[in-house]
Amino acid sequence: MKFYETIVIGSGPAGMVGATILGQHGVKTLLLDENDFIGGQLVKQTHKFFGDHAHYASLRGFEIAQKLQDGISSNSNVEVENAATVMGIYPNNTVTYIQNGKKCKAYGKKLLITTGAMEKQLPFVNSDLPGVYGAGAIQTLMNEYGIMPGSRFMIIGSGNIGLILAYQLIQAGAKVRAIVEALGKIGGYAVHANKIKRLGVPILLNHTIVKAIGDKSVSGAVIAEIDDKFKPITGTERELVVDTIAISVGLTPLTELSEQAGCKVEFIPELGGYVPIRNERMKTTNPDVFIAGDLASIEEATTAMIEGKIASLEMVQELTGKDLEKEIENEITILALFRSGPKSVKIRSGLEKMGIKNLAISKPRINEPKEDIVGKLRAVLECDEEIPCNSCEVSCPFGAIYIGENLNSTPVLDPDKCTGCGTCVNACPGLAIFMLKEDVENRMALVGIPYELLPLPVKGQKMWAMNKNGDYVCDVTVERVVKYPNKTHLVYAKIPIEFSQSVRHFSFIKKESPIICRCEEVTLDEIENTIDSGITDFEELKRLTRVTMGPCGGKNCKLVVLGILSRKTGVSISNLSQGTSRPPVKPVEFSAFLKCGDDK
Amino acid sequence: MISNASVVIIGGGIIGTSIAFNLAKLGVKDISVFEKSYISSGSTGRCGGGIRQQWTSPMNVRLAMRSVELFRRFREDIGMDIEYHEGGYLLLAYSDEEMGEFESNVKMQNQEGLSVQLVSPGEIKEKFPFMNLERVVGGTWCPSDSHANPQIANIAYAIAIKRMGVDLNTHTAVDGIDIQNGEIVGVQTDKGYVKTNTVINAAGGFSHEVGLMANMDIPTHSERHQILVTESINHVLEPMVISFKKNYYVRQTMHGSFVMGQSDKKPAQGNDLGHSVEFLEEMAPKMVHDFPFMTHLHIVRQWSGAYNISPDAQPIIDTAESISRYIFAVGFSGHGFMLAPAAGEAVAEMVVYGRSKTMDVSNLNMRRFKRQIKSEKNVV
Repeated sequence: MKFYETIVIGSGPAGMVGATILGQHGVKTLLLDENDFIGGQLVKQTHKFFGDHAHYASLRGFEIAQKLQDGISSNSNVEVENAATVMGIYPNNTVTYIQNGKKCKAYGKKLLITTGAMEKQLPFVNSDLPGVYGAGAIQTLMNEYGIMPGSRFMIIGSGNIGLILAYQLIQAGAKVRAIVEALGKIGGYAVHANKIKRLGVPILLNHTIVKAIGDKSVSGAVIAEIDDKFKPITGTERELVVDTIAISVGLTPLTELSEQAGCKVEFIPELGGYVPIRNERMKTTNPDVFIAGDLASIEEATTAMIEGKIASLEMVQELTGKDLEKEIENEITILALFRSGPKSVKIRSGLEKMGIKNLAISKPRINEPKEDIVGKLRAVLECDEEIPCNSCEVSCPFGAIYIGENLNSTPVLDPDKCTGCGTCVNACPGLAIFMLKEDVENRMALVGIPYELLPLPVKGQKMWAMNKNGDYVCDVTVERVVKYPNKTHLVYAKIPIEFSQSVRHFSFIKKESPIICRCEEVTLDEIENTIDSGITDFEELKRLTRVTMGPCGGKNCKLVVLGILSRKTGVSISNLSQGTSRPPVKPVEFSAFLKCGDDK
Repeated sequence: MISNASVVIIGGGIIGTSIAFNLAKLGVKDISVFEKSYISSGSTGRCGGGIRQQWTSPMNVRLAMRSVELFRRFREDIGMDIEYHEGGYLLLAYSDEEMGEFESNVKMQNQEGLSVQLVSPGEIKEKFPFMNLERVVGGTWCPSDSHANPQIANIAYAIAIKRMGVDLNTHTAVDGIDIQNGEIVGVQTDKGYVKTNTVINAAGGFSHEVGLMANMDIPTHSERHQILVTESINHVLEPMVISFKKNYYVRQTMHGSFVMGQSDKKPAQGNDLGHSVEFLEEMAPKMVHDFPFMTHLHIVRQWSGAYNISPDAQPIIDTAESISRYIFAVGFSGHGFMLAPAAGEAVAEMVVYGRSKTMDVSNLNMRRFKRQIKSEKNVV
């Protein structure tokens, strides 16, 4: 048996921060982790993290892990044991773990349990087929071991993990056929969702998987729309040809060790299920045991790190008698600030159930936009959801972006101060900032788009400009590529000015012609061929190809078609006729005209 | 735009382009067509697309029968698929009196060589079990009646004539016809002047106005007819169905959408191409009653077009008496699309040979209105 002042179980963000602080205060600490290296989930995250700069915002997950690891390895008070699987916590704070096939025992005066969470499973027919994975498992295979488990994916669940996984898969060269989401809205951050929507991944709301298809492994999935009782609606089933199904329907805290340590657990669904009862300073019902991170409540890395800090500071205080009250209170305030946004409603109500009051601090606000300066090269911020992140504000060297006291508030740009340097575009973890400069006279606009895919386009490259939903908008030629060491590069191209608010991605030209008019299934090739055959009048083009003539009345594709016509004929869009609008603006059933609603 | 034309055709609709096609086919060179907007912008592009031979006037029957012959070869002759489909026409009768009229029509039509038959409600039900035939006492059925996509047909003609060397000018409006001593010498357009001695008025809804350019008071007027299209569904309705009594026509296009219309009680006069909500209010109950499966079908778009109406609802195809080589092919009264192939052939022959050879259309002359007018009755 080895003796320590503290033992930290789990080396994710909460555990690493906790161990670091304990060590910094001279507390002899053992950090145990079952994996071959410390870092937890961070090591497999290739995307940039939200948050503030004090908590490594704008860095990629594995970079944060590296920084935290460096802090631990340079600390002589922290002893790290990898590949150490804790098998149980026995009376008198005896932590028993298996390492190299041998049992080891360690005693800690105090324990910090940061075991995190595991993925929830979802029952469906054939869910035991090879090819059905948890989202985290795919990240482990792909990002830790460099193994791609499939080529065509379907993801179940649109929380941040599902959205991020989709993005990482595309970066790794896989195809993501769809994300299905049982609820009527996207679970994760809008900016995460936007990142993949513009890459053409559909997020199907009110949908679920009915079954996986396959003999020896997954060869497809049947999905269906669901009613308000989450029952599949007969007749809406359809089949997706995929070879891998990723489940990301949420996480559930790993409470076993804390239970064995005598901590009382309670079922609080808002926090993720069964969670140990604890106070504001992360102390459980066992006064020797502290928790932090996803074990305490399912959230994300920043809150896990802050909780790890609070827990460890309180532990130091209790063990050494040092007065760290100020520091602890400060961290509690920072944590409350993080949780003050609309995305943390559930967490706040879950904490209240546990008797932890949420600090009354400044509320996030939707900041009023400033008057735009059309024609100036400037940043366009498309971050309209109140999420805890201020990396753009911090990154701007010219103070042109304002968020304010509460980092959940939405950012606004002062176009007067913006110099068009693009630093914020590079920093934004949500890839929600773009560069824009209109040339009103020539009816063109230069757009700059953050680009994290390989291969990187080169100057002069012919590409397709895509809109926020990943639909084709127009052809472009790349004007400039600005490379950054953090691998969020900036690609600039000119587009017709009419598309300055819609083009948000550049795609390499594909062999298969994109569908322009989805109602009538008219492809770019068909439209171009018809124009090339001499039909240069929009109205005639419409009648021959049926483009814009479907149920949406051209709302989705009319401007794109005019753009194609403009490119082919050299007549600017503003000089082309867009035809006459006829009722109904949206399709109406005959039955609506059988009775009169205003004759009551 | 050429400066010297052997023939100027005013109007790039189905009639104008069909005439140009037939003229070019007969070897006429230097034909100019002026269309003030785009191809199919006028009545052609707004019409229901039915091709009916069941008329009450023998002349309409003949013209339509000849057109059906030509529509059948359209793809080979003109070079494009126009969604031509012989799904038949079903006309519905609601009283013994109406059925009696149908009987005499069928007799005449049979004499003209058209295969039409009277059908009982039971026979209709057997063919179209999804229809609600309440109060229907019978009908007529002509299996060779058909329908096609008028817009594509018009554009197909336009593409064909361009290929054949016709000088087709869209977005070019004719401002005046230059007549000196009763002879045509040229046509003034908003894009320039073209010399010619022959003008064909194929201006559809604007035939009267183009008549006035030559000081001619052509007895045609335009009135608005409304029409709508639904979303597309699987093909269920083969024929065009017409009810004169209930005042509607409806067909399902090859694309799957339903196109339908009626005559407004007081149709807007002239080339008013607006639309009214009353049209939808009137169409919906009729459709839902007779075709219950349409209850939840979505209306996608409504619009309107002009019927260019002559005193007897039959076309006027003639040469002006006062001005030599001013020919008109006007007043098609809502049936221009279906008669266009035959009308174009006849007019082209009139220009080249002095009279129509394939089919005698002389009784569609202007002089007929001086006698007692015997009107085509079955118009929706």
